[in-house]
Amino acid sequence: MKALVTGANGFLGRHVVNALLARGIEVRAMVRPAARVEALGWPASVDIVRADLRSARDLVDAFADVDVLIHLAAVVSGGEDAQFAGTVGGTERLLDAMAASACRRLVLCSSFSVYDYTATSDVLDESAPLQQSPDVYTRGGYTVAKWWQERLTRRYVEKDGWDLTVLRPGFIWGRGHGYLAALGQQIGRHHVVIGPLTRIPMTHVENCADVFALAAADPRARGQTLNIVDGPGERVWTYLSDYMRGTGERGLRLPVPHWLASAVVRLAFVTVFRRATKVPAILTPKKFDAMLKPLRFDNRKLRETLGWTPPLDYKQCLARTYGPEPARVEAAAWPSGKAASI
Amino acid sequence: MKAALIGAGQIARQHLTCLNTLPGVQLAAICDLSPATAEAAAERHAIPSWFTDHRQMLETIRPDVVHVTTPPTSHFRLAMDALEAGAHVIVEKPATSSFEELQTLTLRAKQTGRHVIEDYNYVFNHAPQEILRKIETGEFGAVTHVDILICLDILGPDGFADPNAPHPALKLAGGAIADFLPHLASLSHAFVGPHRSAQTVWSKRKPSPLPFDEFRSVIEAERGTATLGFSASAQPDAFWLRVYGERMQATANLFETRLTFDGPRNVPKPLRPFFSGLDEGRDIRRAALSTLLRKFKGPGAYEGLWACLSRTYQALATRAALPITIEDVLSVNRMVEAMKPREQAA
Repeated sequence: MKALVTGANGFLGRHVVNALLARGIEVRAMVRPAARVEALGWPASVDIVRADLRSARDLVDAFADVDVLIHLAAVVSGGEDAQFAGTVGGTERLLDAMAASACRRLVLCSSFSVYDYTATSDVLDESAPLQQSPDVYTRGGYTVAKWWQERLTRRYVEKDGWDLTVLRPGFIWGRGHGYLAALGQQIGRHHVVIGPLTRIPMTHVENCADVFALAAADPRARGQTLNIVDGPGERVWTYLSDYMRGTGERGLRLPVPHWLASAVVRLAFVTVFRRATKVPAILTPKKFDAMLKPLRFDNRKLRETLGWTPPLDYKQCLARTYGPEPARVEAAAWPSGKAASI
Repeated sequence: MKAALIGAGQIARQHLTCLNTLPGVQLAAICDLSPATAEAAAERHAIPSWFTDHRQMLETIRPDVVHVTTPPTSHFRLAMDALEAGAHVIVEKPATSSFEELQTLTLRAKQTGRHVIEDYNYVFNHAPQEILRKIETGEFGAVTHVDILICLDILGPDGFADPNAPHPALKLAGGAIADFLPHLASLSHAFVGPHRSAQTVWSKRKPSPLPFDEFRSVIEAERGTATLGFSASAQPDAFWLRVYGERMQATANLFETRLTFDGPRNVPKPLRPFFSGLDEGRDIRRAALSTLLRKFKGPGAYEGLWACLSRTYQALATRAALPITIEDVLSVNRMVEAMKPREQAA
């Protein structure tokens, strides 16, 4: 079995490649032309193709002998239009090429951000309401791009009759990527912790990668849409404590009840920012909810469908993220200091 | 008046958002080679129809005005097609890749009785317009010189210097800086008129995919002189405009709202710098606040684009004189042509 992995040298992608190899699946890794992959330590069996989905013209050859596409690539930096053009335009080019190939199986990396948090109460699982147009366009560049990427992929799948698995990870965390938007608002080295007892829908990058490899190999994943979280999630206060201990950061933590912050944000939005076109994410009610709304999360459907349990427990994940660096992932090039998105 | 747009990229958002606020303008259709991009823009801006083939859009919609906001090398072909379909054309800068293309385009516009407007948005920002107003009333005195310098870090990996996907502007003579020449030339043109001669220095300070990252030019124009510049290394980012008149001087940063004037005042000469300094400090503090507040609302530094579009549509509706004429476009582009490098850097 051979998998084509886009975004293969990204934060998630490099672990997905390792997880696929561990399951004995051959890997063709698609990386950008100028990407440096030597430090990733991939074995020679990994077939590297260089292409930039934002501009590549002919991608059909990349699908030669490929049984499954694992589509992870997304543009997560730059302005809203750059993210859309890279993530959605890139997916159009990639799936046009797939349509001209013999490959009929696709695993898409979507996101929790496609859910409408504001309309969700109590439990956010696969049955939770999704964002709708035109409301989605108030959610910011990342959400618009990921929502469109999934919408577009489903259209191709319907038209071409492919087998699709959509995986929607929560906050993906790991080495160099420990700070999460769910932790509230950072001011210098201090933290305003909004809803300290709220649970975070989180998945460690190695656990998350394991689900992608499993979904690629397991026929039970076909036609499924599955959320990826490692479990019910740690509480914001607990994880922030572990993050600060792990990184050695020192700073004050000011706990603010979620209901109070939510009321202030909504009042400010109605009175001051209603007509504003550019407001910081945390002051926009829909984005505030997507980052911080206290909901319950579980991975029941993932467990029941694929029989999956996370290979690493929380303590092991902390050790992998903040402990001594294993030799195999040295010189990781993923930019740190940017909050992980969902 | 029925408007349509080709090319739903970054700058298109400003055009579309503005068009939806203009009275008497119906945003009828949008076109992009990417179906998802066209459809998403249509949904976001409540546009009733979207296309991936611009000719089909022109035939189906028959728009009165077509906005061309694609990468610059495709402008000429799309603008010609829009003229042939009987539409006026508002094209993003640079209007064409070469002056010959522009001459063909403007000639065809005259033959068809349509207009071609190149977007000189910064000329219509508040600061240049306020300086032009003072010049018109005589308060400023005749302009002797204008100094314009854009300091903008374009060497980061996500934009013009992207090592993975070459930016379309790199195909222009002068590379990424050529994308900014219409701004420099149009502002110079607004204050000192058409150029007579230009001397330029193109150079490269840092390794990057860009052929040049520094540019300076000295212009002799009909009503005065100009020094124009672009620096990818000078920081922080700023867009400095200094206008020197026979009675006053003005300084503006067009990335912000900062605008200060210095001129004659009724105080003993030794005290003039003191009072000028106080006034300037007050104006800068006010600008600091208004620059912050405008981040929350409206077009920000694109205020000039909105003003330009508003005035253009008003003029088209009433058949009045346009804020940017075909003669202006030709004159500005003659200056751009004179400033272009004769050869690419090694």
